[in-house]
Amino acid sequence: MLKINNLSATVDDGNKTILEALSLEVPAGEVHAIMGPNGAGKSTLSYVLTGRDGYDVTSGDVTLDGDDLLEMDPEERAAKGMFLSFQYPLEIPGVPTMTFLKTALNAQRRARGEEEMAAPEFLKKARALAKELKMKPEMLKRPLNVGFSGGEKKRMEIFQMMMLEPRFILMDETDSGLDVDALRIVADGVNKLRSPDRGMLIITHYQRLLDYIVPDRVHVLSGGKIAASGDADFAKKLEAEGYDAYAA
Amino acid sequence: MTHMPLKLENLPTRRDEAWKWTDVRGRVSETSAGLSVAGLPKFTLPDGITVSEVETDDLDTDSAMAKLARNFGGKVWAVSVPEGFSSDTPLIIEGLNRGHIRIRIDIAKGASLSVIEHHAGDAGGFVNVDMTVTLKAEAKFDRTIVHNDPADCVRIATAHITAWNDAAVTQHALSFGGALSRIETRLAGMGKHIEATLNGAYLLDDKRHCDMTSYIDLAVPDCTIRQAVKGVVTDKSRGVFQGKFHVRRPAQHTDAEMRHDALMLSDTSEIRSKPELEIYADDVACAHGNTIGQLDESALFYMRQRGIPLAEARALLTEAFVADVFDDLDDEDLRESLLGKIREWLKEG
Ligand SMILES: Nc1ncnc2c1ncn2[C@@H]1O[C@H](COP(=O)(O)OP(=O)(O)OP(=O)(O)O)[C@@H](O)[C@H]1O
Ligand SMILES: [Mg+2]
Repeated sequence: MLKINNLSATVDDGNKTILEALSLEVPAGEVHAIMGPNGAGKSTLSYVLTGRDGYDVTSGDVTLDGDDLLEMDPEERAAKGMFLSFQYPLEIPGVPTMTFLKTALNAQRRARGEEEMAAPEFLKKARALAKELKMKPEMLKRPLNVGFSGGEKKRMEIFQMMMLEPRFILMDETDSGLDVDALRIVADGVNKLRSPDRGMLIITHYQRLLDYIVPDRVHVLSGGKIAASGDADFAKKLEAEGYDAYAA
Repeated sequence: MTHMPLKLENLPTRRDEAWKWTDVRGRVSETSAGLSVAGLPKFTLPDGITVSEVETDDLDTDSAMAKLARNFGGKVWAVSVPEGFSSDTPLIIEGLNRGHIRIRIDIAKGASLSVIEHHAGDAGGFVNVDMTVTLKAEAKFDRTIVHNDPADCVRIATAHITAWNDAAVTQHALSFGGALSRIETRLAGMGKHIEATLNGAYLLDDKRHCDMTSYIDLAVPDCTIRQAVKGVVTDKSRGVFQGKFHVRRPAQHTDAEMRHDALMLSDTSEIRSKPELEIYADDVACAHGNTIGQLDESALFYMRQRGIPLAEARALLTEAFVADVFDDLDDEDLRESLLGKIREWLKEG
């Protein structure tokens, strides 16, 4: 489903190469985890995949279901089904969460040539989901993420993800900042989205998350590429031994 | 009243300090429609209020535009609001499309009046609206201004508001500018414990110009002033904000805040701002803030990542930026209609 082939990317106006000929494939139905040292380029990979300005692809290609992702604007990629749960979710002052999300959902639907979701159905769905994620209903009325705690922001990312039901999910350290209960709620949500036609790439530093969301494959990102891969148990080994063996 | 044509040299120019960013003389020509004649405003009155035409040469200001309004505007349209009056229906003023117009509103003790002014000019027009408002003790005045002129229309709209003790003034101005426009509000506090909110927003594109100028002159204690003006400029437009709080020695316990925040959406647009505090009383809390910024790129990316197209993301962020100056507008329908106009403007951009 997601195919990354020999991808190289720079930041800082081309002055700094972060990814160097990185290749990775996540087939539909699978969950892959990416681990790796601080500064290895994990978030950079997530931004390159979602088309953020300032993250420049110098070579290689990326396809989602065979379509060239790198050609698309960020919003087109989103409409294709690409979703990134941000390591640091942004605050959007003055835009109520529900307005934001309804705008996003219907923009995606329009882009895909689907019918927009009507307000009552949207509200119903949002309320039920907020309950499931044990979110305070007033959080939905507040401007998106403004004044939310770190953990609340992460939970809000999952809320958005479950409302949008994306085809491919990228999660960048969604577990950091979550308390144990929140982690379980988030993991339950993610597991509910696991399906034969959906893929996931989960960036994390902690084995703990992978106890809840058991990955099919675990990769180490180091030296700008995938330096090693293994099955779910590989994460335990990494946590015990560190990344020295895979240093660039 | 004179029947001679207006002499262009009597218009303010860039050389006048108060007009240095709004060069009226430079934008007006002999052929401007309405330059030397009286305008004909239209009043839709709530029950119990009357408007009459009053002949007077009185002028208690030395402002150049007020003098021109006196010389060319003919009689004064005088609205008087009787003691204790209040109504759910606003006074609506339209027909402010060309010429010189003098309006006087007297609000008696304890009375309350809402006014909605529609400033929409003629193509190639010149409009000079000079309004005098007096609030007696405990009177209340809620003023909403909606301004959108053709790209070649020049407008100066000045209000001289005098407030006596315990009076309350609320003003919300929304302007989409014109060839050259200034909305000027002058508030003189004559009795203690006045409360005033003077908010506004301007959104400008093309080569439009809007100037929001205010002068708050307090010589009495215990007044509370809140002013928040937001600006959005794009293309080659120009926004001007000049705000001054003049807190005289007797004006103890003044609590005054002035904010002007502007978004520059293009490199070729301009913002000129001059917030001023002149304070002679020692026991006061006065503050001002002034920022000029751009839309937050990371917020835009975040919104696009969720599927919101760039133009829509920009519009949402811009609306959110501007909208909060209208948060305290009590009339929900009026507030929605202002926000609707903002959305329409954003959609066209
Ligand atoms: N816009 C940028 N300008 C300059 N350097 C950048 C930029 N973005 C990222 N970098 C650098 O690129 C490298 C990779 O950063 P990235 O955020 O992708 O790492 P990471 O693997 O996600 O780390 P962490 O585990 O700490 O989240 C770092 O050295 C970082 O400082
Ligand atoms: Mg990171």
